[in-house]
Amino acid sequence: MSVENKNLSEGYWDIVMKQFRKKKLAVWSLRFFYFMLALALLADFVANEKPYYCQYKGNTYFPLFRGIAVDYGFANWNSEFVNADWINMEFETAIFPPVTYSATTIDIANSQYKGPFDEQEIKSFHRKHFMGTDQIGRDVAAGMVFGTRIALLVGVISMAISSIIGIFLGAISGYFGDERLQISRASLWLNVAFFFFAWYYAFQNRAYQLSDSMNGSFTVFFAQIGLSVLIFCIVMFIPNLIAFGLKRIGFLGKKVAIPLDILVMRSIEVINSIPITLLILSLVAILKKPSILWVMVIIGFTGWTGIAKYVRAELLRVRNLEYIEASQSFGFSEWRIIFKHALPNSLSPVLISIAFGIAGAILVESGLSFLGIGVQAELQTWGKLLSQAREEVSAWWLAIFPGVAIFISVTVFNLIGEGLTDAMDPRLKQ
Amino acid sequence: MFLYILKRILYFIPTFFVISIITFLLGQIAPGDPIELKLKGGMQSANQQSSEKLQTEKAYLEISEKYGRHLPPFYFTLSTSASPDTLYKIRKKSDRENLERIIAQYGNWDQISHYYYSVRKLEFAVMNAPKDTLSESTFEKRSNVRLACLSLYQQYEDKSIVNQLEAIKSLVSSNSEVVTTDSQKVSYKPLASLEQSYVEVENAYTAVKEKATPIKNYIPSLHWFGLGNQYHRWMFGDKPWFGENTDLTKTSSGLLRLDFGKSFLDDRPVASIIKDSLRWTLLLNLIVLLIVYIVSIPLGVALATQMGSRFDRFMTLVLFLFYSLPIVWIGTLMITFFTSDYYGDFLNLFPPYGLGKIGDEFGTWEKVLDRTYHFILPIICLTIGTFAYISRQMRGSMLSVIRQDYIRTAFAKGLSPRKVYWKHAFRNSLLPIITMFSGLLPAMIGGAVIVEYMFNIPGMGRVSYDAVVQRDYPVLFTILMFSAILTMLGNLLADILYSVVDPRISFTKKMG
Repeated sequence: MSVENKNLSEGYWDIVMKQFRKKKLAVWSLRFFYFMLALALLADFVANEKPYYCQYKGNTYFPLFRGIAVDYGFANWNSEFVNADWINMEFETAIFPPVTYSATTIDIANSQYKGPFDEQEIKSFHRKHFMGTDQIGRDVAAGMVFGTRIALLVGVISMAISSIIGIFLGAISGYFGDERLQISRASLWLNVAFFFFAWYYAFQNRAYQLSDSMNGSFTVFFAQIGLSVLIFCIVMFIPNLIAFGLKRIGFLGKKVAIPLDILVMRSIEVINSIPITLLILSLVAILKKPSILWVMVIIGFTGWTGIAKYVRAELLRVRNLEYIEASQSFGFSEWRIIFKHALPNSLSPVLISIAFGIAGAILVESGLSFLGIGVQAELQTWGKLLSQAREEVSAWWLAIFPGVAIFISVTVFNLIGEGLTDAMDPRLKQ
Repeated sequence: MFLYILKRILYFIPTFFVISIITFLLGQIAPGDPIELKLKGGMQSANQQSSEKLQTEKAYLEISEKYGRHLPPFYFTLSTSASPDTLYKIRKKSDRENLERIIAQYGNWDQISHYYYSVRKLEFAVMNAPKDTLSESTFEKRSNVRLACLSLYQQYEDKSIVNQLEAIKSLVSSNSEVVTTDSQKVSYKPLASLEQSYVEVENAYTAVKEKATPIKNYIPSLHWFGLGNQYHRWMFGDKPWFGENTDLTKTSSGLLRLDFGKSFLDDRPVASIIKDSLRWTLLLNLIVLLIVYIVSIPLGVALATQMGSRFDRFMTLVLFLFYSLPIVWIGTLMITFFTSDYYGDFLNLFPPYGLGKIGDEFGTWEKVLDRTYHFILPIICLTIGTFAYISRQMRGSMLSVIRQDYIRTAFAKGLSPRKVYWKHAFRNSLLPIITMFSGLLPAMIGGAVIVEYMFNIPGMGRVSYDAVVQRDYPVLFTILMFSAILTMLGNLLADILYSVVDPRISFTKKMG
């Protein structure tokens, strides 16, 4: 009896995890992903030119922590550190981070491509450039650490955007199909008419606010976008309110089917018809100011089609299952059924898509920064480090280390994706 | 079958137009003024004569007409009732954008246009003011007034406009002292002639602020422009479709008649740029496709038939790693290690970039050999990923086929494995590979950007990279359109091939 209970309580995810754990490589990839995540989050503490702790002229300081507080405006530097030349400072005692440079630190003494085995002009061993330097004397190891942050950020944020769009569109097109979403004529006409108004008041009228905030900080921009979306929703609320009343009139109340599936599938075809690299290149080209954040948004807005297709296929299957029919007969609203009942059972393939998508996004980002397009000049990324190898043949460390980083991270995400695919494959389930 | 193809082609049309509109929109919101770029920024200097200014403005108009930029952008615009439907007639992009900003603040076009023309009047008055022979400083003052006028064209914030106006006011009303022949100091206003024009500007600006009707900005209005617009000209051309073209100002035949416009940079027709570059991209990718399909299909089948063997396990791992190899990295590694003698003479194997020998003085074979020599590294770069991808897919698809019952039946009736695999399983397992063919195309064009950039091959990818960097939008967006059309054709071809290979698929009835 107890055995049976145990089997019953073993949910879908338990089975998937069990299958996933059988794949050694996938499990190690997942662990490596955690490692990268930690590296990305703690990049400032792993690679920094300031020591964690130091004794300087008889006083004790914690310059690294203070530096971060200063960056965020919580504290000010002590007078002797305001214009400190951290690299050449002599401390009585000091504990340094593993990499004693940050990505933007310029070590002039070791500029012009100093390799790991070349003779470097350093004060002490802990200031050694383990992975060499680039032309202007930036440390490659530090660039690698901060590059991890950029790569993961691009992968995760762009895939987050993709999954939101993809899941939503895939769900509605799969669940409603071409026939199921029926609204009254009044509602349809009013919605179409008001869509223009909503667009007008939310985006066109606020175009200058939006485009001006684009050049400012990203939070301000998000606030402005949020305000626009809010206005859009408020204006779109009006026609639905009116239509609620008009529905009772016979002619206007007649139901019309919205061909959601066709609309969504057509837009997927449009996006898939444009070679993604070229599309991203052209989108990046029209930016006034290059920024990695825009690269993320652009990858996100172009990468949702795969996810949408998966979710659509899943919902096509799920919507005919009996429990959905049951909840329909309860009279639940369609949206509640989609998002509370149908979607949770269809999300597993999305995870696979996301894993492969992150790998793809990292590749795209490294390609773009290799080409020097769309990424701010001051940011160090793997692709940028790699591109510097083109300028100097002797700098093998610039050709190898960042390349290995891109390769490994892409492999890791592909392996996780593979592992998930196998784990979710019902044929393997015993 | 025929009906199906017809239906597919009919679907093709709306998709095509949606893509063209997206591309066109991208070109519209792209920053920078290409015409200004063409004039090499020689538009405005502080000491320009009015005749020069008029000349550059004329040149600006001519160029904008040549590129069709004098037309309204689209069939219709959704804008505010405050902005006039004739705003596009202000040709200069920066002026127009600034006026739009002012309209968004005050919403009264009558006053704003009056203000705009009064600033112009002041500017011309400055340029036409007679030379002052008495005081040296007058020249500098004049240039400063001119500069202030020029910056007024770019100002929309009240504070900065007021600042500029005040600067002009102080310049115009400032006194110069001149020592006359009988050594008497005489004070006079050298720019007194401008005062009247200045007062007009000031009054016009005050009127803009006082008679502001910002509420008009909240009333949407739809302007209809008809067929004479930039999009229509770009897509359908302005030359008549039937009959002789009599109007010499109409120069475009439109994208549908394969007139892609001209490059902003060197006026070369985009069609010829694409023709020249497409050659190399196609050549490279065809070789790659050939290698990939010749090698990876048999490999995939071999791996599937020997599933679980040591060879299979090893190759699966290798293919997986190949699949994850970033093109940027392989390319960089090969360029670093194989194209110079820095790491030893024996490693200096290949040329780092370029096409090799070009020109008539070389024989055909000589050129072919040299070309091959130059193409080896780029081809390796392009091949690895696709090769791994197709092999893996072929293996997977073959595996799923040979698990099926009819294969077991074929074995049971005593057929040789060779016959079972190649005659029974192979054809069915090819199906997914055919659909993949259409998906490969966009990926290959994308991959070509990086490889052609690295190895400096003047193909489509390299050209589009250059177009992005140099903001040569006609080239960039034509390539975008062109590759989209290629991809759609690829999809169509794949669907037709699919129905040829698999007679079970009739497409007449909707499946699922």
